[in-house]
Amino acid sequence: MAKILIPTPLRQFTAKQDSVTVPGATVGEVLTALTTEYPDLRKQIFTEEGKLRSFVNVYLNDEDIRYIGRDAAPAADADTLSLVPSIAGGMPGGTN
Amino acid sequence: MIRIEPEPWAAMVAHGQASYPNECCGAMLGSTERDSKTVRQAIALENAFDGVQAARYELRPEDLLAADKAARERKMDLIGIYHSHPDCDAYFSTTDLQNSCPWYSFVVLSIQKGEFHHANCFLPNFDQTEAPKEELIY
Repeated sequence: MAKILIPTPLRQFTAKQDSVTVPGATVGEVLTALTTEYPDLRKQIFTEEGKLRSFVNVYLNDEDIRYIGRDAAPAADADTLSLVPSIAGGMPGGTN
Repeated sequence: MIRIEPEPWAAMVAHGQASYPNECCGAMLGSTERDSKTVRQAIALENAFDGVQAARYELRPEDLLAADKAARERKMDLIGIYHSHPDCDAYFSTTDLQNSCPWYSFVVLSIQKGEFHHANCFLPNFDQTEAPKEELIY
């Protein structure tokens, strides 16, 4: 049962809980269990094609899952998952 | 509606002015009651954009994760992001929109000739195609 920290705006979809615990041996299984138990979260995190939205990063403890095996990264009971957005910006004329 | 208390507002303006002519960025912590948000603390974060920062900003996800942890420790919520537009109006640019997240309020401060000029707040949508204004009180 990994723990998932829920960002404030998403707590309306988890009965106002700021963290939840769901089963799963890998990050992918944990995220599937999360959106199965709280289906309104799915649209927030995944596209209609089932991919993580472009602005969503998933951290397993302090590690970005992109660098530790993505969905296949093992998740233990003591682990904490965080959903962290990618944010940037700028003005016209800025170099992209 | 989002209301920013005087102390965090002063910190955000000071951050924008100190970063001029570059863009600054940071996190806003506070509370949410129904449709009303109150910012009680502002956390200045490093502009991590690897290039000319006068017209771009980028937040490191690790820094945002730390800001969220700080909010939890202080019994507050991470409710928004702020950044500055040096010598430019406080609008939500295409670049802002394409790199936004619908979970948070986005405050933009216009810093003109090094001084605060005006500010606006925006709520981007899921598809990163629109960001209507949110009433901002400071």
